[in-house]
Amino acid sequence: MSAATIHQVQVPQPKQHGKPGGIMRHLNFFTGLVSGVVLALVFGYVMSLQFPAGALTANFANAAAGPVFWAMMVGWVVGFMGGMGAFVGPIRWLLGRDLTHADAEFMAGKDQGKFRYWRFTTDHKVVGIQYLIVAMIILGFGGLLAMLIRTELGITWMEVFNPDFYNSLVGTHGIAMIIAMIVVVSGPVGNFIVPLMCGARDMAFPRLNALSIWLLVCAVPPLILSLLVGGIRDGWSVYQPLNAQAGPGMIGYQTTIIVFAVSTALASVNIMTTVLTMRAKGMTWSRTPILIYGAFAAAAMGLYAFPFYMYSQILSMTDRLVNTSFFNPIEGGSVWLYQNLFWLLGHPEVYVILIPSIAVMMEIIPVFMRKPLFSYYMAIAGIVGVVGLSGLVWAHHMYMTGWAPQANYPFMLSTEMISIPVGFLVLVVIGTMWRGAFWSRLPMMAVFAVIFNKMIGGVTGVYLSDVPADQYFHGNMFVTAHFHYMLMGAGLFGAMGGIAYYFPKMTGRYLDERTGSIGFWTAFAGFQITFMSMFVAGLQGQPRRVLQFDNMFDISNWISTIGAYVIGIGMLIFLAAIMSSWRSGQAAPSNPWQAQTLDWQTATPVPLENFPVLPVVTKLPYDYGVPDPLAPKKLEEQYDEKVGAPS
Amino acid sequence: MADTMVPAEEPEAPTNRPPAMHRLREWLQRRYVRHILIITVVVGFLLLPLAWLMLAAMNQSGGPASSIMEDIQQTIFVFTLVSIPITAFVFAVLLYSLFGWKGKSGDVPPNNDNPAIRTNAVAVITWTVSSSLLAAFLVVWGLIELADITADSYGSTSATGQPKTEDALVVNVTGQQWVWTFEYPQYDKVATDILYLPKDRPVLFNVTSVDVIHNFWAVELGIKIDANPGAITQTGVTPNKEGTFNVRCAELCGLHHAYMETKIDVMPAETFESFMRESGAGRTR
Repeated sequence: MSAATIHQVQVPQPKQHGKPGGIMRHLNFFTGLVSGVVLALVFGYVMSLQFPAGALTANFANAAAGPVFWAMMVGWVVGFMGGMGAFVGPIRWLLGRDLTHADAEFMAGKDQGKFRYWRFTTDHKVVGIQYLIVAMIILGFGGLLAMLIRTELGITWMEVFNPDFYNSLVGTHGIAMIIAMIVVVSGPVGNFIVPLMCGARDMAFPRLNALSIWLLVCAVPPLILSLLVGGIRDGWSVYQPLNAQAGPGMIGYQTTIIVFAVSTALASVNIMTTVLTMRAKGMTWSRTPILIYGAFAAAAMGLYAFPFYMYSQILSMTDRLVNTSFFNPIEGGSVWLYQNLFWLLGHPEVYVILIPSIAVMMEIIPVFMRKPLFSYYMAIAGIVGVVGLSGLVWAHHMYMTGWAPQANYPFMLSTEMISIPVGFLVLVVIGTMWRGAFWSRLPMMAVFAVIFNKMIGGVTGVYLSDVPADQYFHGNMFVTAHFHYMLMGAGLFGAMGGIAYYFPKMTGRYLDERTGSIGFWTAFAGFQITFMSMFVAGLQGQPRRVLQFDNMFDISNWISTIGAYVIGIGMLIFLAAIMSSWRSGQAAPSNPWQAQTLDWQTATPVPLENFPVLPVVTKLPYDYGVPDPLAPKKLEEQYDEKVGAPS
Repeated sequence: MADTMVPAEEPEAPTNRPPAMHRLREWLQRRYVRHILIITVVVGFLLLPLAWLMLAAMNQSGGPASSIMEDIQQTIFVFTLVSIPITAFVFAVLLYSLFGWKGKSGDVPPNNDNPAIRTNAVAVITWTVSSSLLAAFLVVWGLIELADITADSYGSTSATGQPKTEDALVVNVTGQQWVWTFEYPQYDKVATDILYLPKDRPVLFNVTSVDVIHNFWAVELGIKIDANPGAITQTGVTPNKEGTFNVRCAELCGLHHAYMETKIDVMPAETFESFMRESGAGRTR
């Protein structure tokens, strides 16, 4: 044992063996990939030996297929994470060779150049960028599937795909987009920006941070692979018992969800601990920027909601593999149990997507309006109210299931109550806009788009929260249009605004205003066309998730498909703007928007430990604007005006 | 010294009118407030036709064909009317921000003289109270309508809670991948794949499934309930219009979910009786 002197105290240090980093020097994404694939093949082969050749199940399916695919998934997860070096820390600790300071610095990516993005790097800024890239890749994949779905629905006179593949497209699009939307704001903003905004040197648990992003990466291939082995034919909600009829592709979905839920739980704990314990000196709860509240709220909801999802998929998996029949009604299981577990995730998850996006908007508006955030406490109340109610509304997805008709009354009450805290957030936004000339840049323009979409999504949500109206709209294209307005219109367009806002801090360059705006507004226009006509299709009575329909729905579907292609073009332009700006955009100073939050007070590119000296906070960071000339005057001031101020 | 001798002007005596009214009046006289209110009204009137257009879209296939569907449409109509003012106001603020208060581009923030409005108690209270009242109205309306259509669905009256089953027609609906079967236990268990219903007679549906979850949606009759395997769910309706309507499956049920639809034929009660007698006789012999 060597020792280091820290603050005049001798602190024992583990002994350094070899070069800093040890075996981590040789492990990266590519070794993870190789070892994941190898271990998957080995596990699959070993499992296949357990079944005699040609063994069939009671349904005359190949008996080996499910277990073999499951074993391959286990092999992939263990192999990939092991090959990445996720287990090196604990193993070295068990062997008595704990990480030294030099090892920790190596793992934080010190002096490694670009290659640190391919490693198990603990620096929160690297993790944030990795989240952004992974989310964009999943979004691209999900968007491609959306184009295929709209192609099928636009060509009304024939089946382009066979129904089985179409159903797989719908399910895979759904879950891929949900995963991407959950991480596209919470990931980059929660990991890159929140520690900076807190005035911290890193996240609370840097190694868990690296673990959460690589678990997310690990969760993606099973989802894509599942398309090759039967697909997810049952929508993203994969209701039982339809789930049980699907091929082994469903195991890919279940693996993805279980791994993703673990990743989300780790990320949530990390963000919450960082916010609770690592805010700068003086950053009391009434001086904390609203984005930190938003990230904290999303993490808190994720932490209690995702376990339900994980349990539902673990139970489904055991139903499938070892006939536990939790959800099989023929053997005493309950299909409603599955739906309850699923929607206990399903509704909070919507707010996990929305709240960070709205919180980013609330950071953007004061900066570009040069006005303080209107009624900061009301914004907090709105976020707290949404978090509080989010866990009490899940059964509004089950109004029409016949599960408990009497429960429809209380759930209608709680669901419609959510419009009150959401209304608070709207007031904060329009109050901040009130009487201010705005700085017309892409992040600010995104705010207008988001509020427009959010109003439409919110108002249509009121119909759906009402049981009688939902009796018409449940399982109808109207629902599809509504949640796209919420998740895409408010969530994704908000994320695009957020990317434009934080781009200079993340990359040191401005996002190209012109190309970015063209892409953004093209996508926005296409979005309105697509989903407005989808509302019409829903009102006419088109059910969801169908590939063929009555002729009366043709026109609205044609328009919708044209709009979808416009969205695709707009998104590609926006992507081109991101890529070209990242490589060769206009260089930005460290605080290009002249914002007051701590994340903009450090150098760009952000140094390894963020701040040379940890900052101290003395006020709320929304100190913009001049005293209001129209503010109602106090009585003394009125008297002074009339009488003359005492000299 | 002379000017100090001039008695200072007395502050204005308090008037009888409450100061809040003064402030409201002063506020309403501001140019931007007037413009925003005007835009709100204009946008509101532009949105108003939606209330009727939505119903027109819903009625395209021949509905409403029952009192339940009429209640649903009434709810949708009222909700549209209620949400138009608030939507119009928010849109008006957005529009006035874009074109009235305007934006400026540039590399540095051009607008450093915006008023620092940190909060405004009147605005906060007004907004909270009015949005709560709106939400309360929607909840109360929803609860009443729900009780109403529940009473209609189960063939009971809300006053007594007693099922009016004496004259109710019972139909056992069975969903299976990917067809609907309708069985009439009161008519020799006749089974059909098209839903035949008499006009103006209460119908009670016992809905179930033999394989996966389906959703029995009689579109123009306004009823919808899941068909669950291993459970029977009930709903009901009294058709009040003759014609041909649609049954669709509204829950993804596998390969041919899109094609799991059939027709409803609502006919006069006498025609229904004779039709059922013939079908039943044909089946038993």
